[in-house]
Amino acid sequence: MVKILLACSSGMSTSLLVQKMEAEAKERGLDAEIWAVAQDKAPEDMKKADVLLIGPQMRFMKKKFSVTADEVGIPLDVIDPVSYGRVDGKAVLDKALELIEANKN
Amino acid sequence: MDKFMEMLENVLMPIAEKLNNNRYLTALRNGFMVALPMIIFGSIFVVIANLPFLDRLIGDDAFAAYQNALGPASAATLSIMGLFVIIGIGYKMVEGRGGEAIYGGVVAIASFLIMTPQIVEGTPNVIPTNSLGAQGMFLGIFTAFVSAELYHLFVRKNLTIKMPEGVPSAVARSFSALIPVTLTLTLFLVIRIIFSFTPFETVQNFIYTLVQQPLTALGSGLPATLVAVLLIQVFWFFGLHGQIIVNSVFDPIWYSLNNDNLAAFEAGEELPHIVTKQFIDTFIVGIGGSGMTLAVIFVIFAVTKSRQLRELGKLGGPSGIFNVNEPLIFGMPIIMNPLVMIPWLLAPVVVAAVTYFAMSTGFAPRPAGIIVPWTTPALLSGYLATGNNIMGAVMQLINMVIVFVIWFPFIKLLDKQYYGEEMRIAEAKA
Repeated sequence: MVKILLACSSGMSTSLLVQKMEAEAKERGLDAEIWAVAQDKAPEDMKKADVLLIGPQMRFMKKKFSVTADEVGIPLDVIDPVSYGRVDGKAVLDKALELIEANKN
Repeated sequence: MDKFMEMLENVLMPIAEKLNNNRYLTALRNGFMVALPMIIFGSIFVVIANLPFLDRLIGDDAFAAYQNALGPASAATLSIMGLFVIIGIGYKMVEGRGGEAIYGGVVAIASFLIMTPQIVEGTPNVIPTNSLGAQGMFLGIFTAFVSAELYHLFVRKNLTIKMPEGVPSAVARSFSALIPVTLTLTLFLVIRIIFSFTPFETVQNFIYTLVQQPLTALGSGLPATLVAVLLIQVFWFFGLHGQIIVNSVFDPIWYSLNNDNLAAFEAGEELPHIVTKQFIDTFIVGIGGSGMTLAVIFVIFAVTKSRQLRELGKLGGPSGIFNVNEPLIFGMPIIMNPLVMIPWLLAPVVVAAVTYFAMSTGFAPRPAGIIVPWTTPALLSGYLATGNNIMGAVMQLINMVIVFVIWFPFIKLLDKQYYGEEMRIAEAKA
């Protein structure tokens, strides 16, 4: 089971992406929990996640979030703007799995 | 061009980071978020209390009784929103510092009430509700910041009562909040007493006259509004969430103005302000999201031939109705795209100016102080925000036309470029 957390200003536009990612995970038969939150809730939810992905419009939060991410030992990154614009569930899911995999080593 | 863009981004990123992550602005943003359900609840009942044609349907007396019955809903929430904002700020401030957050909330409320006039037209032991809404907004925010910080400082200094041995530790703990709270509130009481000897008489009056009034006067004017609107667009152009950055500074001003209008609306008086929270949220942003991109989606469906843009329209359309437009902003892309920079920056500024003049001449109604959730679709939001006035929706429609016209040539240009590329790729394949 992989747990993927997405964060943006209010968790609105990232939730759009969550739907696409869930559909993609289902297609692959991947057991995944994917959810989106507003920025202020992200540090709390990071404890329950394997990876944090930040909406590009909130990329200035990366530095602040990485403090908590280091504490709980999860990787994080900013979602590529092009994939974000296309609401490309496949690309972002790949990115998330890649980050989780790299974090294992 | 690239060099210049890079340079600008390097300037904007740290600003965005600082404004968004500042301890006080974070607490302020959260404070308003805590208050939001209360604000929306009150707004719903202002809308219901002012349903159109109802007075003619049931008669003036019955209508007055109906409004009286519903009045407490907004009076207890929307009109005194400052109270909830203050609890939220105090709570989040202390929570952010890692202390017992609920005391941050109550100490902020108590400090604020100590600083508030407790007399109305000579009648003592009465707190004017206006002090808990528009008029006390800035005082409340300052007080919440200071009281929460002081409370936490006193807690950290370990100013607690030492109990002799043999006293259960739970007893000692029950006193743990006592000294920090007492010290904080005493300080505010002293401040209040000092101010009672000045011509301002109350701290609220002092803050209102010296800080809030000048700031809201500035913020309600067209120049500052245009700057705010333009800033939102500039931040977004670099792919940074402009709204959240600019709002964290402007919200106290926009909400105070909002409540002034609400009070006037409920009293049946002329609305004093044009620019309020809802002026921005409904007439500028709330037409598809920042940059009013719903009209841009219409342009896309009306004129484009390129597959890329039509797909984008389909992808961005449904969420655009509810004012979520990240797919469009990142997908077109609008960010860092010199081709659409002019309409992106220009359209909202023009719309803001036009709306302002339409409202100042009385052509369009002013926002009535009702807070409409930002995901409410355009036209409906304009109708609701102006107190069930169809002209509010008409104003939004006019704004959409303006955006449509400004964007039209640029989307055509973009389409020509994309279509040409698509054709070349198709030819290369064939």
